[in-house]
Amino acid sequence: MSTFPLQIITPEKVFFEGDVQRVIVRTTEGDLGILAKHEKYVAALPSGPVKIIMEDGTERIAALSGGAVKVSPLRTAILANAVEWAEDIDIDWAKRSEEDARRKKENSRSKEEQKFAELKLQRALNRLKVSSMKQ
Amino acid sequence: MAASNMKAIKRRIKSVESTMQITKAMELVSSSKLRHAKERAEQAVPFFNLLYETMSEVASEAVGFHSAYTELREQGAALLIVMAGDRGLAGGFNLNVFRLADQRLKELEAQGREVILMTVGKKASEHYAKFPNRILGSFDNVAEKITTYTALHMAEHIVHLFDEGHLALVEVFFTNMVSPLAQEARQMQVIPVPNLEKAEGVQSLTNYEPSPEAVFNSLIPQYLAGILYCTIVDTYASEQAARRMAMENATDNAQEMIDDLSLKYNRARQASITQELTEIVSGANAQE
Repeated sequence: MSTFPLQIITPEKVFFEGDVQRVIVRTTEGDLGILAKHEKYVAALPSGPVKIIMEDGTERIAALSGGAVKVSPLRTAILANAVEWAEDIDIDWAKRSEEDARRKKENSRSKEEQKFAELKLQRALNRLKVSSMKQ
Repeated sequence: MAASNMKAIKRRIKSVESTMQITKAMELVSSSKLRHAKERAEQAVPFFNLLYETMSEVASEAVGFHSAYTELREQGAALLIVMAGDRGLAGGFNLNVFRLADQRLKELEAQGREVILMTVGKKASEHYAKFPNRILGSFDNVAEKITTYTALHMAEHIVHLFDEGHLALVEVFFTNMVSPLAQEARQMQVIPVPNLEKAEGVQSLTNYEPSPEAVFNSLIPQYLAGILYCTIVDTYASEQAARRMAMENATDNAQEMIDDLSLKYNRARQASITQELTEIVSGANAQE
């Protein structure tokens, strides 16, 4: 199967760089699978899982906290605020973060606070979900 | 006179020596912090370049592109984000950026704009403590361990205010590390998003989902967070570089003072020996 170069970049580091067979991201419009020679495409990504089928056919899953995907003929790049491999996720920390977010959401006084708490909650839930998806 | 003078000089040498130890230690700490900060600043570059490239493409390729974030509003306040250090003892580092920001503040007020402030670094919040009701938020002691979440939190807060129509203009005042020996206070306009290259009449072949505007607008908080992250890291690196330089100078000056004082001490010692000899000799002469 033909491969294409994929980059996953966060402000802190280049998280992943290499040739892959396929990558599946969750956009605001739904899941999207990208293969080699995909058309030029840009979409915003909410918090969600990213599934990567490596060059040798193995599958890896990572939790992505908001970002964007950009497909160009040369390469596919995923810009992420933060991203973690499923096996690296600290479940206790994610659970604490979930509880914290729920508490904040309940105690929020303004619409704004509620919105932030909701985003935080989504990130925590996404992390927990992705970590349960690992093989 | 000699004995007491010598004692005083010795005491001064001791005090300068202990100061020199401190400045020397601070210099070493700053160099190591500077190295880490520089690495972090360099790692942020690929992300930010790609983000900027994507946004420029959206703005230029999409036909009839229009976003609230690229046009200057008549109404609304100006938000100045001023970034300085958490500590002093870094030469003119903090003052330079305040001078630039204060000047802009006056300029905007003369134009009749309401100005609100966001400060990063303890020195910045101290400097603007005189305008308590203008401060939107203060972020002290965050620069050293800044994460994307902190930056994103700040960015979402700002975007929220913008969306509600409270803001018209967002500018960042930070210090750019040109080289480890030169830091420069800078001003940067963030919103309205400036200088997105617009190629006329290029038909876009890129598929944007759900729409170019939606993609562009959803990238705004990240773009802002990216800028905040990069400028905070850059400012932090500059602070360390400035402190390292200031401490290096202080150490050199202390060394110079010690050399000077040692010379004085030795002169005083010699003078006292000479005096004692003279006294002995004249005493012996008197006995004859």
